Amino acid sequence: MLSQEKNERLTAVGPGTPMGNLLRRYWWPVATHDMAGRVPVRRRLLGEDLVLFRDGSGQLGLLAEQCPHRRASLALGCTERTGLRCGYHGWLFGADGRCLEQPGELADSTFASRIRAVSYPVAELGGLIFAYLGPAPAPLLPRYDLFVWPDVWRDIAHAELPCNFVQIMENSVDPYHVEWLHGRYGSFLRELAGEPAVQVVTKKHVKVAFEVFEHGILKRRVLEGQTEQDEDWKIGHPLVFPSMLRVGGGGIATFQIRIPVDDTHTWHVWYQTYRFDVPAPPQAAIPVYRVPLHDEQGEWLRDYVDGQDICAWVTQGAIADRSREHLGRSDLGVIMLRKLYFEQMELVEAGRDPICTYRDPDRNDCIELPMERDKFGGARAFREMWLRESSIRYSPIRDQVLGQFGDVA
Amino acid sequence: MTHCPGCGARLDAGAAFVQEFWAGDDRNFLCWCPGCGLLCTVVVSARLVSHEPEH
Repeated sequence: MLSQEKNERLTAVGPGTPMGNLLRRYWWPVATHDMAGRVPVRRRLLGEDLVLFRDGSGQLGLLAEQCPHRRASLALGCTERTGLRCGYHGWLFGADGRCLEQPGELADSTFASRIRAVSYPVAELGGLIFAYLGPAPAPLLPRYDLFVWPDVWRDIAHAELPCNFVQIMENSVDPYHVEWLHGRYGSFLRELAGEPAVQVVTKKHVKVAFEVFEHGILKRRVLEGQTEQDEDWKIGHPLVFPSMLRVGGGGIATFQIRIPVDDTHTWHVWYQTYRFDVPAPPQAAIPVYRVPLHDEQGEWLRDYVDGQDICAWVTQGAIADRSREHLGRSDLGVIMLRKLYFEQMELVEAGRDPICTYRDPDRNDCIELPMERDKFGGARAFREMWLRESSIRYSPIRDQVLGQFGDVA
Repeated sequence: MTHCPGCGARLDAGAAFVQEFWAGDDRNFLCWCPGCGLLCTVVVSARLVSHEPEH
């Protein structure tokens, strides 16, 4: 149980809230590379309505959605050679928010110099467009390994989920759910469908451990039949603070990025990399695809691992009511994460940088993160299961990936 | 838990963290006090087993 007041402190992400202030110290994916084109697009991040555009010079811009003039949506605007022009009265704004033109005003007016749209820095990395909504000076955009590795294939899946981001993050420090949600419940659904039980994710947990380290929380497990010499324990994999999970094995490595849209919605991005034993030809572009949430009957899709996770997260409620929960010893990872959020909120309130903010370029060339390769005791078995049972099953390049790995569909 | 076992500061408001969890029969409260930095677990035990020292 967590008090209602503490639960609100943990989950409210809007401007001026303790968690909102913490999260604003980080760069966030605000779009995939294909979303930013000539047509401005509405995006919502940390409870703020925004418009993303790429002007005729190729410059990306991110402005508060409402025009400073009469508050019309700048999403109904025209991208010009430089900047975005409001569709209502033609006021033109640069990517830095400066008002460049006010067509209806006197030619010698200085009015424009006193007008500024709310603007935020944006940057592209690895096929994602990142935004920084916090105080200046912005830290560096972290160059995590999967975003910058050469010689890998990538794809990017995404979906907007109707729940708060914290309950999704808690799932990443809750190893026991794997054997039950994906093992037992997943097999139960197969039984009902007359299909054989699922494999790999059914192994019982013998021991789990969590360790706060420089990138967040490192999670380790010993499964039935394993020892501490197996990579699941010896190496483990991290929750990257504040909002990513690094997961995979057998040549597949994924960032599951949980981006708070607002208090009750999360944009979930699955950022995949595939590293083959034999070098593959370079990709022309990184494929982007949506992950479906419902079946034809409108029920949550839950016949695969990511669907089962999504189903669990959203059925906890738009914001999980932690004042009515009952935690046990198996929830110590969840407790550790909550405490880490509280501690980092306090650091920000004291005027200090939270963990995982980078300001030294020498430390930001490629930030390598630990992750087991022989996950669940077998790289290939895990990879074959993951290509069937994760959101990769919707990837437009799944067959090519299978072919490059030499796996069976 | 409303006050820090270390320094006595209030734990039910602001940045302090108090999380209840159960371990068997024992009700636990993990507490972190931003004032003095104490991180501890307070256990409301169902039973306390001890022994009398030699005297």
